[in-house]
Amino acid sequence: MDPIALTAGYDLLGDGRPETLWLGIGTLLMLLGTFYFIARGWGVTDKEAREYYAITILVPGIASAAYLSMFFGIGLTEVQVGGEMLDIYYARYADWLFTTPLLLLDLALLAKVDRVTIGTLVGVDALMIVTGLVGALSHTAVARYSWWLFSTICMIVVLYFLATSLRSAAKQRSADVQSTFNTLTALVLVLWTAYPILWIIGTEGAGVVGLGIETLLFMVLDVTAKVGFGFILLRSRAILGDTGAPEPSAGAEASAAD
Amino acid sequence: MTETTTERPPVLNTRAVVGLSACAAIALVGIFLIPTLQEPSGGLNVRFWTMAALELIAMGGVVYFVLNLHEEPNER
Repeated sequence: MDPIALTAGYDLLGDGRPETLWLGIGTLLMLLGTFYFIARGWGVTDKEAREYYAITILVPGIASAAYLSMFFGIGLTEVQVGGEMLDIYYARYADWLFTTPLLLLDLALLAKVDRVTIGTLVGVDALMIVTGLVGALSHTAVARYSWWLFSTICMIVVLYFLATSLRSAAKQRSADVQSTFNTLTALVLVLWTAYPILWIIGTEGAGVVGLGIETLLFMVLDVTAKVGFGFILLRSRAILGDTGAPEPSAGAEASAAD
Repeated sequence: MTETTTERPPVLNTRAVVGLSACAAIALVGIFLIPTLQEPSGGLNVRFWTMAALELIAMGGVVYFVLNLHEEPNER
């Protein structure tokens, strides 16, 4: 493969933005995830499962709209930092502001925590994204890094909360729920930690990584954190109440065939 | 075989479903709003804060309506 394509992407729209390749792929993958979750959830009657489907369909649905806006250059603006103009894909922040609290809501519902805990978790998460947005729009390096630090501290609080309080609550639930919760929490811990690292080495931070690679990596992180997360969650028995299971285990299938 | 139980399952809250749809619409408006609010409508920060406010409202609405997606039959 041409190394230029690896480092920069491909300018699909002919407007001088090679990263449109990754934004286009991101839009398609988010749309595929949305339609897959809709098809899978069509006709589901279980009360708890409906709640998970409602959240999990909205997450890639809104993310696909955000990616489409970035693809067409709508979700893009320029911010002057020092004497340089930076391209900022602000639609990411709109996407994250809506979707990341909903991913946490999925985990909170799995752990069955109370509404005050849900509100706290969602609130700190929203603060994390809003302060990240303030950093992205700041005009001086000191301000940008300060807001990045604030946002990262909020993220650490959220992840700590997940790994301690929510995990303790999840331990009171069934083995299926615990297993799914632990898998999803591990996924969130790893993927979410990568976001501030990518921000600080990307064009909005130190500029070690170019916009093409940055866009590609954000796309991979976003698709995995949303569609991958939903895929694991919705295939699990953990989302069901006490009324049944959509996917019998291999052993149960063998018994039924006998 | 006779049905002996009188307990009825929770029913889908239609208002919550409508609310979820409205929140999705608000979130979409938030994403596509900024290009329609060009310079005469305010500086960059005003436009971004409008977007952020819409996304926060939409997200808060989804959290509320998902937590109230069902209602007990006797609540209706």
